[in-house]
Formats: sequence, structure tokens, C-alpha cells
Amino acid sequence: MAAADGGAVSGLAARHWPAAGPSRVPNWVYTDPDIFAREQERIFEGPSWLYVCLDAEIPNPGDFTRSRLGRREVVAVRGNDGAVRVLLNSCAHRSMQVCGANRGTAKEFICPYHQWTYDLEGKLLGVPFRRGFRGQGGMPEDFRPDEHGLQQLAVASRHGVVFASFNQPNETLEDYLGPTMLGWFDRVFSGRPLKVLGYQRQRLPSNWKLMFENIKDPYHASLLHVFLVTFGLFRLDQQSAIEMDDTGRHCAMISRRGAQETNEATAQMSAFRQDLRLADPRLLEPVREFPGDATVAMQTIWPNLIVQQQSNGLAMRQIVPLDAGNFDLVWTHFGYADDPPEMTERRLRQSNLFGPGGLVSVDDGEAMMLSQVGIAGNEGGECLVEMGGREVANVPHMVTETAIRGFYQHYRAVMGL
Amino acid sequence: MIAAASGLDAPLELRARLADLYAAYDDALGEGDYERWPEFFTEACVYKIISRENYDAGLPLAMLQAESRGMLTDRVAALRKTTLYAPRFVRRLVGSIVLRAIEADSMRLSSSFALFQTMLNEPSEVFLCGRLYDRVADDAGTLRFAERICVTDATLVPTSLIFPI
Repeated sequence: MAAADGGAVSGLAARHWPAAGPSRVPNWVYTDPDIFAREQERIFEGPSWLYVCLDAEIPNPGDFTRSRLGRREVVAVRGNDGAVRVLLNSCAHRSMQVCGANRGTAKEFICPYHQWTYDLEGKLLGVPFRRGFRGQGGMPEDFRPDEHGLQQLAVASRHGVVFASFNQPNETLEDYLGPTMLGWFDRVFSGRPLKVLGYQRQRLPSNWKLMFENIKDPYHASLLHVFLVTFGLFRLDQQSAIEMDDTGRHCAMISRRGAQETNEATAQMSAFRQDLRLADPRLLEPVREFPGDATVAMQTIWPNLIVQQQSNGLAMRQIVPLDAGNFDLVWTHFGYADDPPEMTERRLRQSNLFGPGGLVSVDDGEAMMLSQVGIAGNEGGECLVEMGGREVANVPHMVTETAIRGFYQHYRAVMGL
Repeated sequence: MIAAASGLDAPLELRARLADLYAAYDDALGEGDYERWPEFFTEACVYKIISRENYDAGLPLAMLQAESRGMLTDRVAALRKTTLYAPRFVRRLVGSIVLRAIEADSMRLSSSFALFQTMLNEPSEVFLCGRLYDRVADDAGTLRFAERICVTDATLVPTSLIFPI
């Protein structure tokens, strides 16, 4: 898009990152349609492993689920050989959407328009009237069905989580995550079979990167989230850490749960409400289920996934950018297949904290909406990201924006900005 | 206002009491008087807002779920004291309330709802719509919701779900 339009090229060429580096983020990265187009090309269609779905959503041959990777829509389907394939949901004939259901089970995919038929591997099986009718019409003699299958993406999966790429990275999924992130990833996905509890979707009037920044920013959690703070679920005075991979693109935000108590830190949190007590405390009765003492581990995995482990609330949050000012957030809540009923009940109760109506995440959705409004009305401005210093480094505390700087350090390299 | 499903011969007085319950509920929420909201439910009530996507697939996850009047009270406390949200109005319309069945301890009713949202300085928009599946019980002489399942047609919520349905 940018290359075909001389004006757009000069528009992007005129963009210069502030000299201060990743401790400043220019507001145009959240608003410029040319930036958005380049993000699609270099990040979402570039050498990235993108989260697609969970194995547990498509356990049997023929099971499929739709997913959106950036602006492109795919179908993840389990073949008769048991392997998962990720196919572009666009017919090789006239590009029509082939699969219209969110999920289901199929023997083959038939495009509704002209009934071109594909097998579970995306191979073109049949073209009606390929040889014409009574010697007239039909496809040319040299038409090769094997050259016109559904586009198949590179696929990588680990312990029940499926990733795909339009432009296969030179590194395995494990190397892509790096050893630090892999440790946190495997903590939730140990290979223990998963069970999907359901979906939540919300459309947020905000740039997609603000979602990542939100989960890479522990500083806000103690101030914005009165609910979390009051009930001791996440506070910056608790033992905590920010751990990134070597590139800064992925991050784990880790915390240990504390009690509902006052101290010198809560005195600075106007959010803290000592007077608040739950009428029905069953909402928050977390039990320890992972090794180690971390009670919260929020993983941000470049470029479209947040793995949420907040007490017993487990969810994949998939980020689907729509344009510079809007994205969809798709939540897949899950537990483990062998969870006893009371654990499933506990996870469902705790799910009240998350999603579009979540006691905690409503604050984030509203904050992102208001951020975008402020940014759009101040496109020449820049965001200041200096809490905890100006460098990118792992730290054993929460009073920092280092992971946002890590994200933009990598973003700039990929985007050439 | 409460239409009996065909074959169901509900006394007029009962229908009038049900109509009053629905009207009073809508009046409380319509006036933004959320403190009154839990009073329309029995102590051991079930309240859920769930997408049709999950509901039809038998997936239990809701956008909001409560298993007691206390959990509804906690929701209201959060709404008043802990939640950050931009100013808005949400208007509800509930219609075509049908009494489906009278059972030993409760009555089953269903209806349709539409929610309209108005953000500050923005036009009013349709926010969510769907079906209400209710169970109403006589709680020591007062009709209350023992169960209200709000099933939204949309899989997707625009930005945030702040207020109950």
C-alpha cells in the first residue's frame, strides 16, 4: 500500500523516532494508517509465530476453528492424520470466505460460491464443470488443481498451544520464545490436557499495542485497579518481577499475592479501600496450583498473545488488530481436563475479574479507550516511558515501565523506525 | 404485559404481580438505582450474562456470573467504588414477556431485551440485544428472580460491559 502511493512513502519516511529512544513513544505509532499497514506486513505477516488456537478446541480429525491473525482470517483444522493445519480462509478461485462457522467438524471445505471443494489439508479436490458441459467451457487444459489449494501456513505447536506464521521464522517456536519465557510458558502448559471453558470477545476503540503495553505495565495495576489492590491480588509492594526474553519482545510480569493490609506503599495508592469487604467471599478463594510462589504470571508473547494466569483464572487473550484505532480482544478461558468440579467452579468464579465485564479488566478497556482519545487529539505528542529508568533490563520489582521499553526496542528494529 | 404461553392458564392476579416485578426491576435499573438491584433476587439466586456462542455450545463461561445475592451486592459495590469507566447511559427495553411454565417452586419466563448505550457527546447506539431466561419464585410473599440468564446475540461486546442487564 505504501509503495504504490508516493505520498504515503514520504509520509512514513518523514517519521523519526524521538532521539531519547525507547523511553519515548511517538503518538503517531498509534494513529498513522501507514504505520498500521507496515505492521501488518512486517509483524503479522512477517517472521513471527502467531497464536492461533488451543489443541483442545479441535481434538478430533475434522474439527476446525476459525482464527484471525492480524487482518487475515485462517481456519485451523485437524487432519485425518491427527496433525493441525492452518489454512487461509479464502478460496483459491475468487477469494471468498470458505468457512463461515466459528468452529465445528467437517469432512471437507466447500466454498459456497462455486462449490470448489478442499480436503482437510487444503488440497483442491474438485471444481464443478472443470471439463465444461457438452464440450463447451470449463477450465483450461493446463489447469492443475494441485496448484490451487488453500494457502497453508507454517505451523508450530507446544504442549497444546498452536502457533502459525505466514513467513516461517528461522527459529523454532522454542527459540522464538527463548529460555526465560519458555519456563513461564511451560508452567501453565506442561502438557497436561486442557479444557476450554468458553470465549469472551470485546472490540476496543484503541490501538492494539496499547493492550500489550497495559500488560507490560505493572505500575498502573496498583493505581488503576482498586479491586486488585484492595483484595491483595496484585500490588507493587508485593514481591514481583519483570522478566523479558533477550529481544525484549516477550515479557512475563510476575507477582505474589499479599493480604488485605495497609503499609507505606498502600498509603500512596489512593485506590486502596480498607473499608471494602466482599459480601460473598467465594468470588476470591484462590488455591495454589503451580510450582513456585508466583500467584500471578502474565505473559505477553509477540505479536498477538497474552497468556493470563491470575490466581486460578487462566486465559489466552488474542489480540486482533482491525485498524490503527481499533482491535478485537478474543479471550479463551480454560482449565485442565482433569480439574475436579470445584476447581472448574473456582475458575469460573474468578473469571468475573476478566473479560468485557471483568471487575478488573473493565478498567483496562476503558483506560485504553481514553488513551486512544488523548493520543488522537495529540498526534504530534509523545508518551513518556521513564518509570524505573531509561534502559531495558529485567528487574525484581514493579515500579517500572522497562517491559514497554523492551517492546518498543524490538518494534523499532522490526519496523525500521 | 405478561403473556401466558398457549395452554397455560395463569390467574390474572399472578400475571399482574409478575408484570409489577418486571416493571419495578426496569424502573430501578432505568433510574440507575443499582443498590436496589440485588433486592429483586432470592438469596441463593443465579445471575449470568452469557454470549449465545457459549450458551449454545454448552460452554459455562459467562461475562458476568453470580451465585448469590451477596455476589450481586459485590458487583454493585465494585461499580460504585472500584471500577473506572467513562460516563455513559445504558437504556434497557424488555418486551414480549412470556410465562412458559409454572413449576412447584418457581415459574419460568422468557423475554427479549435490547440495550442502548449513549456515551458523552456521542449518539445513542445499540449496545447488546438478546433473550432473558428467568425463573421467578415466591420468596415469603414477594416475587423475586431465583435465576436470570441473559443470553446476548452478539459474541462481541463493544468496549466494556459496565452495568447489569
